Amino acid sequence: MTRLNLIGLLFGMAFGGLLAGGNLHEYDTIHAMLRLDEPDVFLLMASAIAVSAPALWWLEREGIITPFGGRISLSRSSIEKHHIQGGALFGVGWAIAGTCPAPALVMVSSGALLGLVAMAGIFVGLHLSQRDSEAAQGDGEHRELTRT
Amino acid sequence: MFDLLPDRVPWYVVGPGLGILIVGLFVLANQPLGASGAYVQTVGFVRRRADVAVWRVWYFVGMFAGGLLVTQVLREGAELRSGYDALRDVFPLGAVIPMVFAGAVVMGFGAGRAGGCTSGHGLCGTSQRSPASFAVTATFMATAILTTGVLRLLTGGDL
Repeated sequence: MTRLNLIGLLFGMAFGGLLAGGNLHEYDTIHAMLRLDEPDVFLLMASAIAVSAPALWWLEREGIITPFGGRISLSRSSIEKHHIQGGALFGVGWAIAGTCPAPALVMVSSGALLGLVAMAGIFVGLHLSQRDSEAAQGDGEHRELTRT
Repeated sequence: MFDLLPDRVPWYVVGPGLGILIVGLFVLANQPLGASGAYVQTVGFVRRRADVAVWRVWYFVGMFAGGLLVTQVLREGAELRSGYDALRDVFPLGAVIPMVFAGAVVMGFGAGRAGGCTSGHGLCGTSQRSPASFAVTATFMATAILTTGVLRLLTGGDL
């Protein structure tokens, strides 16, 4: 295993483990958030950004050289129509399925079998969107498809 | 197995932890963190495409393994179950399965079209101060809250 693959495995484990710790893989957690019954998940997301945004700002200003990816470079794409369309559809599906891509995986690992149905749907939906030649490179994680 | 963790680790631990992961992945590899990209790369890997970012396939495996570690080892160990308790209180299982599938297809399509999901845009893109990520995040939060409200109305407040 290359060192980059090991980083992927360990960061994935930490990410999945944190989501599981916060019960983000439970439909009831996401549903309570979107019903605006409890602020926890909003606070969770805000506190994540409050930690990483200033740190990334500083690291970019310093121009640090990373061991595996060259000089640090952040993406700042401007807003296109596909961002709004995609985001709108994502929100509708998120509310109905009550989970999103990472928590769906954790849902399955927690023994919840309907998580398999959600994962299958995500694969189908992503596949359908990839057939669209206009589909989109954003500042989300799909950007490296053109850079690898 | 060990019952070491509380039933729910509070947001002020999980949130900053996720923030540290985002920073760490940039510091080590100058890569944005995100889950739907890992799905896309995993499909590419299975189909033996040439341009696969293999580390994201490991990331995919890692998310599953991390979930296992927490839910089965550090906690008491969850048994096989269907999940979706609140949804199944309102609908029979025969309706829940197509609902979850259809919702997930729409969600996956949207993630592909937007170029990221809750992690890629909602956490990592916003942390990079990307205007597109702020727009995507605001849009999906709005439509998700709206859709939840509509579901609540349609079920007479049960959901």
